[in-house]
Amino acid sequence: MASNDQANDVATYAASVRAALSDLPSEQAEVLLEDIENHLREIAAEAGGPLIERLGSPEQYAQELRTAYGAVPANTPRPDPAVQDLRRAIAWVTASDWYRELRAFLPQLRPAWWVVRGYLATLILTAAFSQGYNLGPIPNPTSKHGLAEILATGVAIWLSVRIGRHSGGLPQGARFLAVSGNLLIAFIAVVLLGNMHSFAYSDIIGTATPEQQPFTAAFAEGPTSNIFPYSLDGKPLTNVLLYDQDGRPLMVQKSEAQTNYPTGADGKLITNAYPLTQRHINGDPVIAPRVAIPAWLSASPTSIPTASPSSSPSH
Amino acid sequence: MNQAEVDTTQLLKGVLDLAVLAVLAEADSYGYDVVRRLREGGLDHVGDASVYGTLRRLYQAGALNSYVVPSDEGPHRKYYGLNNRGRKALEQSAQTWVSLSKALNHLLNGRSNGHGK
Repeated sequence: MASNDQANDVATYAASVRAALSDLPSEQAEVLLEDIENHLREIAAEAGGPLIERLGSPEQYAQELRTAYGAVPANTPRPDPAVQDLRRAIAWVTASDWYRELRAFLPQLRPAWWVVRGYLATLILTAAFSQGYNLGPIPNPTSKHGLAEILATGVAIWLSVRIGRHSGGLPQGARFLAVSGNLLIAFIAVVLLGNMHSFAYSDIIGTATPEQQPFTAAFAEGPTSNIFPYSLDGKPLTNVLLYDQDGRPLMVQKSEAQTNYPTGADGKLITNAYPLTQRHINGDPVIAPRVAIPAWLSASPTSIPTASPSSSPSH
Repeated sequence: MNQAEVDTTQLLKGVLDLAVLAVLAEADSYGYDVVRRLREGGLDHVGDASVYGTLRRLYQAGALNSYVVPSDEGPHRKYYGLNNRGRKALEQSAQTWVSLSKALNHLLNGRSNGHGK
């Protein structure tokens, strides 16, 4: 073990011991712990390996000190039983073999985290700079930025690994910043990935052609098979094009009635011009139902702010 | 820690003062060296914290004097040695121990003899 690590180990261990004895009157603790760092350094220097392996948990060590010294907490109340239980539980976990194995194993995962971190950083940057919500998993070779995304991901991973390999001897403050930065990346990425599903979904809907993904209107009472628009003064309107909130042509449920769709200039059927021209199965034309046009309070309904209506969504 | 170790620890607690005083009567020494010498002396299960705590308590009780010796290779070492009070305490405790162990040996021998026949 490098002497630097050893000094850290001693300082950490001593601090934990002090913390565990913080209920003692300060003078008593001072006399008891006056020489503890030197003492632990002596052990660390001779034994090698972490102190916790050699001496057990700092809490156990503190307990043994307390007993041997005959120390009594002065007038400070004993900690809450729940807190004591918690401490015991923590001490039990940290003293267990599997915890030690886990602690020893985790550092081996560092390079894996560096790679993931590079990827996540690219993902976050892509999300930050891409317009709208059409974020899919990257790199996406089929998208128009596919190559750039793959390159950027590669560079980011290379950088992240480089940073990781050179972050060994950071001073305490920088270490804190580094840990915070890592946590921030992980947190943002989790939020992003959590929304990825809905992003990807809207991506599919957004880029799909209106003919492939029509939106079908329905009412809870039953299927809507035709729509009859009227003007404010009660006149029936014809060939009114209806779109939903995403600009998709609005379609009604298929019914037993035969529908004749008008054909547009591009040769495609216009399926959202209402009312639809329909014939019942016996050949009779579907006629407009009788409706009661409500009287309006004011002369005109409020106009809806719109971007220029378009049948193909812009994103 | 198994049952035997627990028992040893319990027994040790009562005589650790005596053991530490005896080691220091031989030669002045610092904390970790005391632990080592106790273990070499056969007290394998003596706890590091127990020895350190005992040293600090005996020092605080005025049985030991202490001085710092600079060390080339490691940290400065706080050496402990017996003062008059410490020597007196050792003498008394040793007497108590001898009579106590005599009595205990007698009891144990009596038991094993009784069962042996």
